[in-house]
Amino acid sequence: MISLIIILLTSLFFMGIVVRTKSIASGRKGPGIFQPMYDIFRLFKKGTVYSKTTSFIFKLAPTAYLASVLMAILMVPHGNSPGLISFNGDFVMFAYTLAFGKFLLIISALDTGSSFEGMGASREALYSMLVEPALFILMGSFALFTGQTSFQGIFSLLHFGSDISYLLGALATAVFVMMAMIENSRMPFDDPKTHLELTMVHEVMILDNSGFDLGLIQYTTHLKFAMYGALIANLFIGQLPLTFSIPLFFVIQVLFAIAVGIIESFRARFRMGHNPQYIFILSSVALLLFFGILLITGKFF
Amino acid sequence: MIVLFLIASILISCGLFINRNEFVRYLLVGLFLVLLWGFAVYECFHLNQTEFGFFKTDSLGLLLLLALCVVALPALFHSFRYLEVHNTDETPHSKGLFFGAMVLLITACSVAYLSNHIAVTWIFVEITTLSASTLIYHHRNIRALEGVWKYVFICAISITFIYVGILFLSLSMKRAGIEDMSFTSLYSNRMKLDPYWLKFSFLFIFTGFTAKLGLVPMYTAGIDAKDKAPAPAGALLSSILMNLGFVGLYRVYAILAQTPYQSWANNIMIISGLLSIFVAAVYMTRITNIKRMFAYSSIEHMGLVVLGLSVGGIGTYAAILHILLHTFVKPALFFQYNQIYWVYQSKSIHDVGSYFKYNKTGAIVILLAFISATAMPPSGLFVSEFMIFQSLFEAHHLPMLLVVLLLLTFVMWGFGSNIFKLLFTPPTTIDETKIPRISPWESLSQYLLLGLSVYMAYNPPTALVQLINDAVGLIQ
Amino acid sequence: MIDILLITLTMSLLYMSIANRLATYLRILVMQGLILFGTTFLTLTDLNTLNLLLIMLETLGFKAIAVPWFMNYIIKKNHITRETEPYLPNFISLLIVTVILVSAIILSSFIEEEFLDKTFFVVAFSTIFSGLYLIVSRKKIITHVIGYIVIENGVFVLSLAVGNEMPMLVNLGIMLDIFATVLILGIFFNKIGDVIKDPDVNLLSNLKDN
Repeated sequence: MISLIIILLTSLFFMGIVVRTKSIASGRKGPGIFQPMYDIFRLFKKGTVYSKTTSFIFKLAPTAYLASVLMAILMVPHGNSPGLISFNGDFVMFAYTLAFGKFLLIISALDTGSSFEGMGASREALYSMLVEPALFILMGSFALFTGQTSFQGIFSLLHFGSDISYLLGALATAVFVMMAMIENSRMPFDDPKTHLELTMVHEVMILDNSGFDLGLIQYTTHLKFAMYGALIANLFIGQLPLTFSIPLFFVIQVLFAIAVGIIESFRARFRMGHNPQYIFILSSVALLLFFGILLITGKFF
Repeated sequence: MIVLFLIASILISCGLFINRNEFVRYLLVGLFLVLLWGFAVYECFHLNQTEFGFFKTDSLGLLLLLALCVVALPALFHSFRYLEVHNTDETPHSKGLFFGAMVLLITACSVAYLSNHIAVTWIFVEITTLSASTLIYHHRNIRALEGVWKYVFICAISITFIYVGILFLSLSMKRAGIEDMSFTSLYSNRMKLDPYWLKFSFLFIFTGFTAKLGLVPMYTAGIDAKDKAPAPAGALLSSILMNLGFVGLYRVYAILAQTPYQSWANNIMIISGLLSIFVAAVYMTRITNIKRMFAYSSIEHMGLVVLGLSVGGIGTYAAILHILLHTFVKPALFFQYNQIYWVYQSKSIHDVGSYFKYNKTGAIVILLAFISATAMPPSGLFVSEFMIFQSLFEAHHLPMLLVVLLLLTFVMWGFGSNIFKLLFTPPTTIDETKIPRISPWESLSQYLLLGLSVYMAYNPPTALVQLINDAVGLIQ
Repeated sequence: MIDILLITLTMSLLYMSIANRLATYLRILVMQGLILFGTTFLTLTDLNTLNLLLIMLETLGFKAIAVPWFMNYIIKKNHITRETEPYLPNFISLLIVTVILVSAIILSSFIEEEFLDKTFFVVAFSTIFSGLYLIVSRKKIITHVIGYIVIENGVFVLSLAVGNEMPMLVNLGIMLDIFATVLILGIFFNKIGDVIKDPDVNLLSNLKDN
């Protein structure tokens, strides 16, 4: 319950911090922290336009997308207290719930009958496919490390003792951050600001959505960021009592948002043809992480 | 004495590098030859003695050292002749470089034959790569550059492989608690070595030595090297450098001999030997460059040697005899090649022909050398090849014997068609006025070498047989 | 700490497989030299100080400073273009290097040896085979030399694994390094630039058997 509440709270200001960081990095003052939420409320008040070529999928997808992400959030624990849904092997369900939401979004993009959106959908599908092994290998290595198979069990028993576990913790954080960037289609893999064929991945999928649906999709992006931030925070919280863990959680979320802003400001977007190898390298690094954990646990010999 | 010889030869080669005077060059080379022969004679009387723990004059080393001495004489003589005739773009600097590198190559090979420690062999193999690449790059045009680049690169990778093999060997020794890595200590402790690492190490060391020995997989370095190097240098690369590869392989194989893993090592060597003969057969049938043809013939002979070594029995004796006789026959071919080039000014088989008309003595040398290189009676190599076939038959490797005989037929056909074209068919285009008159005395050294190989095979002196049997005793 | 350094070395291999420019390769070589410098310091504790100092100087001076600087000089002098020109797309290179890494891990798990720290083995094997792959899959001659230096780094890691008991072997390895680098880079690459105007390996196929 706790994790759901604080993740929802975080989603309110997360994107605002990102936008603020980007503005400050470019020398401007930038909008307020809650400006993205105001934009979403404005979208909620508008009417929606549905194209004649679309079917019920197009109407269904944004809501289902939001629902899937919310359900995934229900599984994220916070330190010792488990999420509302917690069972052995729940991280697999986590990944597949997210994939379900993404699948619906992809077919709704194809539903519009526009080849432009189809192109964006195929790119999005490719990148998600390439980053999925990274998530599984990462969670698998942590499961090997702690001997537990549920999110809550893994994160509550995760602790860093030896030197090498610090390296692995740092590596895992880096992989999670890059995964968040890929899944949310931010720089350096995709530029949310340009709307050109050469450079779009996610934005092109939602070109035809408008009004309430667009607001839902944008809010889901905020939620996803907060969710990945919660996963990263869990790496560090461990068994701390609630009085320490909740402030630490917020601090880590803010730091994560600032990091996202900095990465977006200072990295150029990768060449579109080179994106697959930069995404796949996360899976290779996750493999190295797996090897490192084999070393620590002594299961290698 | 070895260290003295080494230091003196390095000084002589440095002197040759910096010297510009023709007379001083003759003097230094003559001095080196005297030193070399003196060293060899000295080692004859000090058989099976260890020096500094790193060098030991065992019988195989002594045998090959004497062969080297015999070949070094005509090699240096023909180098002088080659540089005289090829005088167009020779500067004293390049001549000095050539002779310095030749002396260094001969020194490194002769010291490495007597090494008792695998690291010492490894160091000297590196030095031979360095000197051989100087020799290959002698003409300094783009084709020579290409050849030397390929040679250096493949040899560098092979050296790395040998080093990895040495590391694994030290691992296998660590298990047994042995510290000393010299060959004598390895032979006495061969049963105690850890088999897993020993096998790994043999695999890597064998692969590394195939670059020098001229077997699959690293034989490609040698082909380009012998093609691009001037013929006297090519003769040395074909004979004493291959012997160096053989000595290294032999000594490492002797560690595995009489252990239960000898059959595994034999299998590896059989695979490599068969593939080498196959490669030689394939290329010999379609080759047009005469020098490359000689190089591939060396590959074929080395494949046979390794087959004989791996089969055992009389094959080991035959392998050593074969490599000894090959040391005499192959340089004869290369020395004669110079005269072929002087007559026709071309390496390709399409431009040559009717050699009997232009150089009778040389043509007879070619005919005799062809008979020797393809091991037809009454050449010396016939005896050793026949013994190798006998050993294959005795070890019940009949299918392999048949395959080898078939492949050798192809080799003989390829070699023969080219040589007969050279000797008997008229050339396509040739300007008869431009052909220089070649003195018959140029071919004297080759007659002597070929005659020596016949003599060694059919009427070997007892000392020779004794030495070979000693060397075989290391394995059996 | 040693394991951290070795894992970073392996990560540098992954990065090398997708790099596009020669300058990136040289930076990775510098980083590998520095990592080896640190690893030597931490591993070879049984050696006497003079020997250790010599080895560390060699790793730092040679691998991290002299060789990359010299290669940079060659690239500038011969006006070699900045692209690495692979035969296969970079994504497939990354896949292949990952497969090499995984096979090295699986291979090492079959070795039962208490004397050896298995990380050294995995890192050495993956570095050697990745270096071999770099040589095979790139067109330019200079990337062949870079691949060879990567192989040498891998062999050095392997020699560190046995270095404590046999310091002579580490010295031999350094000699190999110096010899090969001096020979390949110093003597011949200078000349290649003078003779061949375009350092493309396709030009080295004139020596054929026709």
